[in-house]
Amino acid sequence: MIWLQQLLSRRRLYNDLSDEMHQHLEEKIEELVASGMSRKEAGHAALREFGNITLIEEDSHAVWRWPSLEGLFSDIRYGVRVLRKNPGFTSVAVLTLALGIAVNTTVFTAFDALFLRPRPVKDPDSLASVFRTTPGEPRGRFSYPDYVYYRDNSRSFSDLSLFATGMAVTSSDLSATSLEAAPRIAGAVGFQLPQLLQGSARPIMCFFVSGNYFSMLGATPVLGRILLPEDDRLNSPLVALMSGNVWQRQFHSDPKIVGSVLHLNGVPFTVIGVTPVDYLATASFVPDLWVPIPAEIVLGAATREDLENRLVIAGFPIGRLKPGATLSDAQAEFGVLAGQLSTRYPEAERNMTVSVVSGRNNLAALDSDAWPVVIAALSAVALLLIIACANVASLLLARAVVRRKEIAVRLALGAGRPRLLRQLLTESILLGILAGALALPLAGWALHLLVIEIAAALPSFGGTIALEVTPDIRIFAFTLFVSCAAGIAFGLAPAFEASKADVNSALKEAGSAFGHHLSRSRLRGLLIAGQIAACLVLLITSALLLRGSERALKIDPGYDAQSVALLEMYNPKNLHYSQSRLLQLNRDLIQRIATLPGVRSVSQASRGPIGGGIRWVPVARAGPTSLPPTTGVSETPTAGYSYVTPNYFDTLGIPIVRGRTFTPREADGQAPLVVISEATARRFWPGEDPIGKLLSIGSEKGGTSFPGESDPFVASSEVIGIARDVRSMDLRKLDESYLYLPLSQSRQWTSTLLVRADGNPTALLPAIGREFRSVDANLPVLAAPLHTMVSMDPYFVVSRIGGVLASIVGALGLLLACLGVYGMVSYSVAQRTREIGVRMALGAQTVQVLRLVMSEGFRPILSGVVIGIVVSAGISRALSATLFGLSPLDPVSFAGVSLLLIAIALLATWLPARRATEVDPMVALRYE
Amino acid sequence: MKKPEQRDLFPGALEMMILRTLKRQPLHGYALVQHIKRTSNDLLQIEEGSLYPALQRLLKEDLVKAEWSISSTNRRVRIYKLTAAGARHLERQVSSFEKMLEGITRVLARGES
Repeated sequence: MIWLQQLLSRRRLYNDLSDEMHQHLEEKIEELVASGMSRKEAGHAALREFGNITLIEEDSHAVWRWPSLEGLFSDIRYGVRVLRKNPGFTSVAVLTLALGIAVNTTVFTAFDALFLRPRPVKDPDSLASVFRTTPGEPRGRFSYPDYVYYRDNSRSFSDLSLFATGMAVTSSDLSATSLEAAPRIAGAVGFQLPQLLQGSARPIMCFFVSGNYFSMLGATPVLGRILLPEDDRLNSPLVALMSGNVWQRQFHSDPKIVGSVLHLNGVPFTVIGVTPVDYLATASFVPDLWVPIPAEIVLGAATREDLENRLVIAGFPIGRLKPGATLSDAQAEFGVLAGQLSTRYPEAERNMTVSVVSGRNNLAALDSDAWPVVIAALSAVALLLIIACANVASLLLARAVVRRKEIAVRLALGAGRPRLLRQLLTESILLGILAGALALPLAGWALHLLVIEIAAALPSFGGTIALEVTPDIRIFAFTLFVSCAAGIAFGLAPAFEASKADVNSALKEAGSAFGHHLSRSRLRGLLIAGQIAACLVLLITSALLLRGSERALKIDPGYDAQSVALLEMYNPKNLHYSQSRLLQLNRDLIQRIATLPGVRSVSQASRGPIGGGIRWVPVARAGPTSLPPTTGVSETPTAGYSYVTPNYFDTLGIPIVRGRTFTPREADGQAPLVVISEATARRFWPGEDPIGKLLSIGSEKGGTSFPGESDPFVASSEVIGIARDVRSMDLRKLDESYLYLPLSQSRQWTSTLLVRADGNPTALLPAIGREFRSVDANLPVLAAPLHTMVSMDPYFVVSRIGGVLASIVGALGLLLACLGVYGMVSYSVAQRTREIGVRMALGAQTVQVLRLVMSEGFRPILSGVVIGIVVSAGISRALSATLFGLSPLDPVSFAGVSLLLIAIALLATWLPARRATEVDPMVALRYE
Repeated sequence: MKKPEQRDLFPGALEMMILRTLKRQPLHGYALVQHIKRTSNDLLQIEEGSLYPALQRLLKEDLVKAEWSISSTNRRVRIYKLTAAGARHLERQVSSFEKMLEGITRVLARGES
């Protein structure tokens, strides 16, 4: 307890000391007076002999202290005082750093959560993933029989399980959900993804895993049991393991769920247990249910033959290595096993090798194609941090000049240089800590928002996103450290310079006179020009992309997108309905929906004009004079096509410019008739009337290129009508050729219905949902007005997301660049206070002073803008594909953004420059 | 700023001289510094104030102890006394100092010849 006594007795010790020193001086003075000096002279002489009283007292006190600790406290106190006295500087510096730290923490945490974090399972380090590698596919899946072979013959794995793909199934036991909350941000930037039709069944996501999967991962259920190897047999009772998320959301955490029966695609499954909430196992999102692989057969995801076929891929093996076994052991062993398989089954296993990688985290999911994108994104945000640090350094530099006098005063009072440096260092670290305190909740909020928004933008049946997105404290600490280090590095250099200064000249501010130190600003000018150029490129790019995608939203596609809704029945084949039942289903639906008030017409098509994918078929002129329909794959012209009911043109508002559409009888009998687009007519019969001419569509060889739909083949089809061109295959241009084939409602079932409303089709969706429910409650249906389906156009997606990202990064960059400009001009104003004072004393006007100061900041801005425009012009050419006809040199984007940027940058110069005009010449001169 | 006691002296020299002086007789600060100056024939230029941080260090390490009393000139003074630990410390310091001095002297003598 000695330190405590010391602490308590310190006050007395200090009093004793100053008392003693006082007595010393008195004694000295008396002695000197006695030797004949005047009292005043003696006082001076005594002080001279004695030395610096304050310093000696400080040194003596220091003996009793914990010098480093207490020094630190006083430094912090002083630092806080300094920062509070300069709220402008402090908030700008703290905000800048916080922004850099928060963005980096967010992005690196997301990356970490996605790819680096160990899987939330028992002992993730001994997990290994196995991939089948073939040329062109380094991360392939295995067939079920191959997996069984590896599992049964491997000696380096203690357990090898199979993670098969998922499937959305339907269940009549789950209540129909209300519409999900609309995704706010996705909606705000123009994305409207089709949502589940209110009243239709909600699909649920099942993941298929082998029976040993959960025991291998060491999973513990919150209720019931996990899946077990005995659930894996073909004749085992059908069971399902429920995720905690669905249990909470759909079953209100009802403990009676275990043992209850859930009908999946109409087949009864017994729920055997519930996993913890957000339990991912080795998946990247949480499914609703986990079921054993043999259930694929009853659910319709695979046939029994598929599970015995070495050509049908089934899933990814992931296993646990035996203690002592290494990845390379397993790799070597699997190489041997793969060799055995390819000798035994040469036709199935050609060109196949295996690769065993660590299953500790999800890093293996990043293939070589994705790495450049990831690296580009990570470098972009790292660059943002560097810019932020550089700008704070700029600010500190400006401050260092202002503080030269303060530093000189403290030097003159006897402060040591290390002491001063420590003080300035403390201030830099304080800035860093404040920035960190702001950045941490900011990053947490951004991550939270990111996950919520992504989850909201996706249809709800895709499972649950369960990213661990608490800001990663290591990454946060690292970025904080980097920015503090940068602050110190840049902040200390000028401090070091200042503290070296000769006290006399510094006190007189001689160093700051008339452009003496201005050479240092050239580098800063370059820095600013570079920043301005970089963010101008980003902002022009974003303006081009956003304006381009805005055009996409306003493009007239040639059909009436505003009043037509698309209804897409989701995966109804899972329901095992017979063809006649499906056909009856569509007939009932069309009949009921058509009689709803507000519905003008209902059509059926194998695909709508947008959102249904694109199918091609070879086409040729047919008839007595023509060549045989197919002469060679490369020379055969192709056309897009869709099977449509006769009223399709009416429903979509596509005018028939010549001829006619099918009659219901022709359509139902699938007569060899076709309606072609104008472009098709021009292509095959330029200058002729195509009505009555013959087309050969498809070829005899044509099979089933797409599951569930055989390719059309009509040897000779008569053209009966010409429809106005539309943009259905590529929103950027009119279809080059398109065929409308007759759809037989008594033979062909399609999942797509198109409903034309009198007004806005969105208002009709609830009523349509009720009709669906009354016809068949097991049908999941996606619904969207056609005009929102433009969101699905890949070029629109690229240009919108690209535009939004570029504008966010560009705006942050602009903010930082402006801070840089602000810092630079403040610096120069601070340095030139005296010069400005002299000029004003000599009669310079406010305007002249403003021009003087601002011109210095303006030069790098202007050169940055010029460079930025040139680089943007180069880049925009590459973007032209995604601009929907907008000129790559769109003057609004180029001139508008440049002018806006110049205006903002000018404001950043004007703010500090204004301070220069407020210099009172008398004060400025006397300031010396 | 340089520490005054390091201007002309090596570290610990001032403490050693204080301890040696106090070994002869207890003294107060002013008398102590006058004694050191006088004894060295004013060859050692020490700032009078620099005595006090050194005295505080010695106090903290219990090598000296201090007491307020009244001097012969009727002045309130703080008298410093050597403690037993201080005496031992002084002996060790002096002997190591003498060894060092001997070494330096030999090197200097060799250099001249």
